[in-house]
Amino acid sequence: MSTTKKYSTVASALRSFVALVAVLSLVVCVVGPTPEARALTVDKTTAQPNQSDGNQIIGGVPTRITWEATVGDDEEIKEIHLVFPAGTTLGEGANTKATVLDGLARLETPQENTITDEGTVIDFAEPVASGLLIRVEIFYVALPAESGHYTLTGRYVDGEGTERELEESPAIAVISVTVVESITQWLDEQPWVEWWNSQLFLRVFFNPQLIVASVPTLFQGWLRSLGLVLVGFPLAIPIGLAVSFLRMARFRIVRFFASIYVNVIRGTPLFLQIYIAFFGLPFLGVSIDSYLLGILVLAMNSSAYLAEIFRAGIQSIHKGQFEASASLGMNAVQTMFSVILPQTVRRVIPTATSEFILLYKDTSLLAAVGVMEQMMFAKSMVASSGNMTPYIVAAGYYLLVTLPLTKIIGSFEKKLAAAEGHSSEPPDKKKKRKRLQKTEDAPSDSFAPPHDNFRRGNGLMGPKI
Amino acid sequence: MSKSNKLFSLIAGLVLAMSLLLTGCGGGGGSTTGNAAADSGSGAAAPAASEIRTVTPGVLTVGSDCDYPPFIEMNGEQPQGFEYDLLSAIATEMGYELEYLPPQNFDTLLASVASETKMDVGCSSFTITDDRKKLIDFCTPYFDSNQAVVALIDSSYTSAMDFNGKVVGAQSGTTGADWVRENLTDSGTTLKEYNQTSEVMAALVAGDIEGAFYDEPVAAEWASTLYTNTHIVESIPTGEQYGFAVSKGNPELLEAINDTLVIIKNNGTFDRIFLSYFPDLTPPSLGANG
Repeated sequence: MSTTKKYSTVASALRSFVALVAVLSLVVCVVGPTPEARALTVDKTTAQPNQSDGNQIIGGVPTRITWEATVGDDEEIKEIHLVFPAGTTLGEGANTKATVLDGLARLETPQENTITDEGTVIDFAEPVASGLLIRVEIFYVALPAESGHYTLTGRYVDGEGTERELEESPAIAVISVTVVESITQWLDEQPWVEWWNSQLFLRVFFNPQLIVASVPTLFQGWLRSLGLVLVGFPLAIPIGLAVSFLRMARFRIVRFFASIYVNVIRGTPLFLQIYIAFFGLPFLGVSIDSYLLGILVLAMNSSAYLAEIFRAGIQSIHKGQFEASASLGMNAVQTMFSVILPQTVRRVIPTATSEFILLYKDTSLLAAVGVMEQMMFAKSMVASSGNMTPYIVAAGYYLLVTLPLTKIIGSFEKKLAAAEGHSSEPPDKKKKRKRLQKTEDAPSDSFAPPHDNFRRGNGLMGPKI
Repeated sequence: MSKSNKLFSLIAGLVLAMSLLLTGCGGGGGSTTGNAAADSGSGAAAPAASEIRTVTPGVLTVGSDCDYPPFIEMNGEQPQGFEYDLLSAIATEMGYELEYLPPQNFDTLLASVASETKMDVGCSSFTITDDRKKLIDFCTPYFDSNQAVVALIDSSYTSAMDFNGKVVGAQSGTTGADWVRENLTDSGTTLKEYNQTSEVMAALVAGDIEGAFYDEPVAAEWASTLYTNTHIVESIPTGEQYGFAVSKGNPELLEAINDTLVIIKNNGTFDRIFLSYFPDLTPPSLGANG
């Protein structure tokens, strides 16, 4: 019992001694280097992201390194020798530029710079005075291909000609070459790619390297666009149905307000509605997440079109159905939900699907207000590459959804026509549809898409599919 | 078949009508500064107008996004600002008429200049960078600039790095957007890019973004005029320099602009224009271009 107690006191004494030593050594560590004041303090070191499908720095691919340091009190800097991490290579046109700033004022600083695989030397014609910021940009250097954290080291020469070590720079995180990047590099070396890219049209619109880079990046954008419409459209359906009921209400005043809703929304561009929602709501102190707000605007817009589609669908059901239901003793609600709507659903599916397609394409308008979606991803890739290829790839992604849906609509319409007892022979059908599109108000017993003329006039929308 | 033909002719007609409209607008907007070179006495070194190829002979056609005061902005239908006055002086000295095209998105301007089909000069406070120099040429730098991050006055940010991991905005294709990508490397950082800097500011005021990154002189101008509920959180010294963009295929025009810059520097026109916008700054020497 006592022995264990003794042991424990010894142990605790030992522990506190260890702790004391640790604290002391820490103090020494912190205090240690300060007596020797640095003549040149490295503030930051960064590299420009060079990943074509992301924001990271890839080893083995040229980038621009920015290294900043401040000249200490009563010191002058004559030369800076920066040493690159081992394995660094130079890209085409590699060079070094040093900018000297006094606060925000840029100073003219004649300099002679050299650059090799090992490092770069900046030789100032006049020593850089104390308190100034030296900003060194090293263009088109490729950091080592292996992933890791790399720092710049080196030395500098002060005003008196004394050479001193530079403190190690902050580390730059480098990732190893990605699949996309290695395919791009492989493409760079292919003779057919070289020929392909020598043709202006092919280079600007179908650049193979950029196709490879944009497919994975734009996939994220595609998912986000799809998300917008997959949430927005189902949200629009109940609103649209409710509005269509209001449009057919018994009271004139209700019909009046419902028609105002429908006509204002269908009579103004979606683009304008988006701007009002995104830049107007904040003035009222309403702050909604932009992705959510995007969904809401799309749903509101689509609900007006759907309301008209549903109304036309409901009114296309023959009067006899209402009368038959009434004779069976059904009330209005029962009639609507168990007799009329089930028949309507089948009739509106093709038009509602083309409304879905329109809405899906219209998600692109949200790019203008900073919602991250397909168009935004494509736009930012085009801006950074100066090439149209990402737009073409984005077009491909849009078609990936719209083409199959168009096909489905076509086959559904054919089936519908057959089921409703119309002639399903193609030439006849074509003629009939053309005639219907021309007349503004379709006869109530035949069904025509009511939204066509409105959307055309909007100017921003693509042609109806 | 006939349907697609109809569509094609419709598109063709539309494009034609649009281009007519565009040229019409441009012609009306810009011909206010036309002046003969012979008027200016110091025009000895200015190259003759006929030697230089421009989109419209005798006219310097300029593209800009016109949304960057005090450098370039729209005053109704007419552009104004330091860069406009500077280009007007250059055009006058060269004996050219100056014509600004309707504002165009910043991130499309350099490609438009390079294609040589629409405009001769890109004027939108372009920072001269090596990457851009691969696409087009720049004239002698005429202004030193820096980056800044702007936030609402009642926000608690104190430095640019405070925005690491936050939702920030910048104009698409600018060095501000590049700065964010390079420096705010936290995985939580979201960069929203907008077509216009005024849209970035609208998003900031709306609370869509926490901070806006763009050039310091414009940030200072707007914080004191249009967006008084915003302030510069931190000015970021980057030592950028502005240059007008000219196609690589038109070195004669570049040379003429650079020569003219030296002429108007020597006769005091440049300093007068510079100091009327920036009385506290020292005009650049416009001498040797590094």
